[in-house]
Amino acid sequence: MSLQATSLRSSTLFSVNGLAWRLLPALPFALVLIVWMLGWAALHPNKATLPPVSDVIEVVWARMRDGELPSQIAASLTRLCLGAGVGILTGVIGGFIAGLYRNVAEFLNPLVVFFNAISGIVWLPLMIGWLGIGTALAVFVIWNTVFFIVFQNTVLGVQLVPEVLEQGVRTLGGGRLETIRSVILPGALPYILTGVRSGLGFGWRALIAAELVGAPDGLGQMIFAAADYHRSDIIIAGCLIIGTIAIAMDRWLLIPIERRTIARWGLVLDTGRKS
Amino acid sequence: MSLASAPSVAAKSPGSASVLGGALQNLTGLRILLPFAVLVAVWWAIKAGGDFPDNLLVSPLQAWNAFVLLVSHGVIAEYASTSLTMLGIAAFVSLAVGVPIGFVVGVNRYAAHALEGFLRFLQGISGIAWLPLAIIWFGFSHTTTLVIVIYTLIVPILFNTMVGVRAIPESYALALRSLGASRLRLVVDVYLPGALPSIVVGLRLGMGYGWRALIAAEMLVRKGGLGDLIFGARTFGQIDRIMVGMIVIGCLYIVVDRLIIQPIENLTVARWGLLRK
Repeated sequence: MSLQATSLRSSTLFSVNGLAWRLLPALPFALVLIVWMLGWAALHPNKATLPPVSDVIEVVWARMRDGELPSQIAASLTRLCLGAGVGILTGVIGGFIAGLYRNVAEFLNPLVVFFNAISGIVWLPLMIGWLGIGTALAVFVIWNTVFFIVFQNTVLGVQLVPEVLEQGVRTLGGGRLETIRSVILPGALPYILTGVRSGLGFGWRALIAAELVGAPDGLGQMIFAAADYHRSDIIIAGCLIIGTIAIAMDRWLLIPIERRTIARWGLVLDTGRKS
Repeated sequence: MSLASAPSVAAKSPGSASVLGGALQNLTGLRILLPFAVLVAVWWAIKAGGDFPDNLLVSPLQAWNAFVLLVSHGVIAEYASTSLTMLGIAAFVSLAVGVPIGFVVGVNRYAAHALEGFLRFLQGISGIAWLPLAIIWFGFSHTTTLVIVIYTLIVPILFNTMVGVRAIPESYALALRSLGASRLRLVVDVYLPGALPSIVVGLRLGMGYGWRALIAAEMLVRKGGLGDLIFGARTFGQIDRIMVGMIVIGCLYIVVDRLIIQPIENLTVARWGLLRK
């Protein structure tokens, strides 16, 4: 009874304050902005240490208009796409092979654990010598980061597909390829996509880190070069853009894909577990 | 049927358990070492077959010699202890600050809703992206590295604490309250154990991000640490040192992850994870 009353009250509260509730997430951003503005107005710190908000907006606007910012973003995103594309492809293929053949998985597992521990940025000093500074280096670092996460998730997904379902297709006369195509691939897809999603999260970080020293352009290089000239306005603008891209990628690209896959294929696993 | 066969297995096992166990252990040891042996053989073959100069690729033997040299001079110990101390301090500070804030925010529906998006945004800006700004603010110092690693660690810990607290069914708190429990009692008996699995997940994720951020920050700050060791070696083209450094970094991370964090995770899930059901 009382529970019903509270839920009723909260639902009316929700509808009345629906707009406020929806605007609530903007509050911390607004607070930071206000504190920053007031703090700057009160203390007037050195512009190199902390620029006023207007400077950051201005620099973004100016760089947007002269086309420098879009080209830096494009450089970073191209590297991410290349590295992640190769990483996902090799990770899924490798993961399928390891997932289907237990011996291969057992043999590779110690190596995967070790190389996962040094994946990404740790390779930078060695690879600068081998690949030189540039896109190849950044792509390698992203591939290296994405591959292991996707690989591990694919292996897990393939191994977790209930054997009953495989045998079902076999009984109905399906061959090896048919089993893989109609059972194992859809069964493993939710895991693969979880791997892709967290792989891209790690990959984006690795890219920025790699670009700090190992690329002639890109967002990471932009903010690192700005430090030499004490242009903290460019650095802060760059950080905000990096964060925005990461969020946009996750929210508008990866979460919808993941959700659809789970809605479409996730059931395969559910029925298997319950039976 | 399975019941019937169980006693016979149990009766058989005591006599052969020690022998079998020993053999099995040897086998798993071999299973772990064999892939690495193959890897080293391939590495050696590439070095011997292809005509690579020493500033591109060294042989495993040269790397081993460099390792012995670095260990005997105490270089590895010094650089590794710098890195591990940094990671330890950062983990401690992040837990000490992140968990309480996560609790305070998590118990309030509005605060949690307000902060969620903000934290997600911060998580999107990797710690290493703040490095240029941190260098301007704190110079090339340990403070810079520490700030970056703490930032990297604290966001997932805070976020997961918050999520963990939010996921606890309210009826548990209400049940304790109706029995007259104080606010403190509620935190100790309901929120802390309920949120612990999630906190540990946050810690593990944070350590994964944080360890890489630490290495990257050390490479650029150049004030000690394993990142400095391998990046410094690059300037002199000492591939042997780079490779030794990479192997040490990998092994240390595996030790930290497998021997410290994973046992904590298993313990927490085993002890408190049931609370969820």
